[in-house]
Amino acid sequence: MRAIHSLVAVVTFVALAALCIVGAPLAQQKPPEEPGWAKGRPKTDEAMKMAPVPAFPVPTPVDQLPVKKFKLPPGFKAEVWASGVLDARGLRQGEKGNVFVSTLFVANKVYVIPEQGKHEAKAIIENMPLAAGIEIHKGSLYLATNTKIMRYDNVEANLDKLGEPTVIYDKLPGGEDHSWKYLRIKDEKLYFEVGAPCNICDPGEWAKIYRMNLDGSGLETIASGVRNTVGFDFDPKTGYLWFTDNGRDWFSEELPNDELNVVTQPGKQHFGYPFCHQGTIPDPEFGWGKSCADFVKPAALLGPHAGSLGLKFYTGKMFPAKYQGAMFIALHGPWNRTKKYNGVYVAWPDGKGGAKVEPFMTGFVENNTYLGRPVDFLVMKDGSLLVSDDHAGAIYRISYSGK
Amino acid sequence: MTGLARLALCTVTAMALAASAGAQTKSRSGGKAASPPANPYPQRFQAVCAACHGANGRSDVPGTPVLAGQHSFYAATQLFLFREGRRSNEAMTAVAKTLTDADLRGFSDFIGTLPPVAPPVPATAPDAARMSRGAELAQKHKCVFCHGADLAGGQQVPRIGGQREDYLQMSLQGFKSGKRPGYTMAMSEAVSQVSPEELDTLAYYAARFTRPKAAGN
Repeated sequence: MRAIHSLVAVVTFVALAALCIVGAPLAQQKPPEEPGWAKGRPKTDEAMKMAPVPAFPVPTPVDQLPVKKFKLPPGFKAEVWASGVLDARGLRQGEKGNVFVSTLFVANKVYVIPEQGKHEAKAIIENMPLAAGIEIHKGSLYLATNTKIMRYDNVEANLDKLGEPTVIYDKLPGGEDHSWKYLRIKDEKLYFEVGAPCNICDPGEWAKIYRMNLDGSGLETIASGVRNTVGFDFDPKTGYLWFTDNGRDWFSEELPNDELNVVTQPGKQHFGYPFCHQGTIPDPEFGWGKSCADFVKPAALLGPHAGSLGLKFYTGKMFPAKYQGAMFIALHGPWNRTKKYNGVYVAWPDGKGGAKVEPFMTGFVENNTYLGRPVDFLVMKDGSLLVSDDHAGAIYRISYSGK
Repeated sequence: MTGLARLALCTVTAMALAASAGAQTKSRSGGKAASPPANPYPQRFQAVCAACHGANGRSDVPGTPVLAGQHSFYAATQLFLFREGRRSNEAMTAVAKTLTDADLRGFSDFIGTLPPVAPPVPATAPDAARMSRGAELAQKHKCVFCHGADLAGGQQVPRIGGQREDYLQMSLQGFKSGKRPGYTMAMSEAVSQVSPEELDTLAYYAARFTRPKAAGN
């Protein structure tokens, strides 16, 4: 049995290596029997109606944004910081204050929004499908699609014409399911994920968090068994990498939960996928012969099919002491669950490998329909928190005055 | 009039209408504040879209899709792709370029209210063997996974049951060749392993698809 497994692993690895060399997307080589997201979907009428829904192609007009419906803890206020930003996903800020906004399926753009003034978005990169992963480091904008990672140098001095990027890595597997990117840079290393190419399958070298040097060399595995993380950040206190992970679909309406995880031993930990979900549930197919005890348990559970995306430690001074050292987590909200929910949540590491989670900002759902769907965060210099919303095409600013 | 002549005429008409629609928007915004009609889009649909797509959304123009029974989300995605210049069609690009975000929502929402209209009864009955082959292929290639067992679609997934065969054929071959971009990558991935001949059979089947009548009806 073990020999077969390692043989499968070797074959998968060789196939992957061969694909990487020729640069062919995996999906063309090995056609799925059904769309990846549909694997495991029950054949009932109710389930058959559910499918991933992309962002609407028109931003919500500013006077119809749901800001007045948001519920926040006492003393906090939400306002519209920018509107008309179609498909607003990832948020990062340059040293000169410019806010960079990435997009996913719809806009094919990266925008810049000046910190001061009317906050009007201007596209600086266009015709770039899956332009989701962005990071700013030493004046350069790093951009990762599903196929490659690029670097635009001295970006804030060249906002009118960025010029051609330097491609630092072009061997990402591409494909559709969970193929888009989220980026962080720490200690001159670039961290990114390669999500599972399906809902549930043997992911081979997929379903991992990797890191590499900033020139694309020295690829290393940081965490394995990660189905699809779309948000991670380093705890400023411990340096540990915390990440959200989207649990498998179609198991049931209420299970499994998305996970909040923490990497304490980079490269050595396996977080369970596809064998074990939420630390306690062996997969009905891939869980045979496995034990959940063999995998790292989640630090916290984030809700069934929650669509947990961006994660950011709060490093500002504006919010009360309670929020110092806490991380904000965006729950985009489920597509394959009958009852919808979402919002911004806040989590505190408990110092013992776990975390306490609370809702922070809700009110994005009305009559079981999304009015907005939060994605990512930016902590501004004044300590306020920006939240992107790809459904409404808007960015909100959360501030605290105590009143 | 031949089909092709009708198509040419309606393309020219649409482009002229698009030009005047743009002018109309400008004069409106600059004119005196008259109370605007509650919802201008039913009328604007008749003025701008109906010449090609039909007053009730059931087109009889070659290569022109039926909009009756289509979903507003799907309609919005296609108007968006035309406006962005990603999907190309001379007449539709000309129309879409003039649309504001509010127009895009307004037209799509109106299209979403048009009830499905059954295709005209064909002179000859559908080829039973080809229909059953089409049904098989729709299962085999997982069309029903997104478009539903009734081929009615939903949200961003279009209704394909009862769509014009020539339009379906052109769309499927376009997804396969890469000429026709989708709003997501779903269709290009779905058809990548399907042969052109099978795609034509699927178009034949979906165009003639009728929902099986429930017993006792």
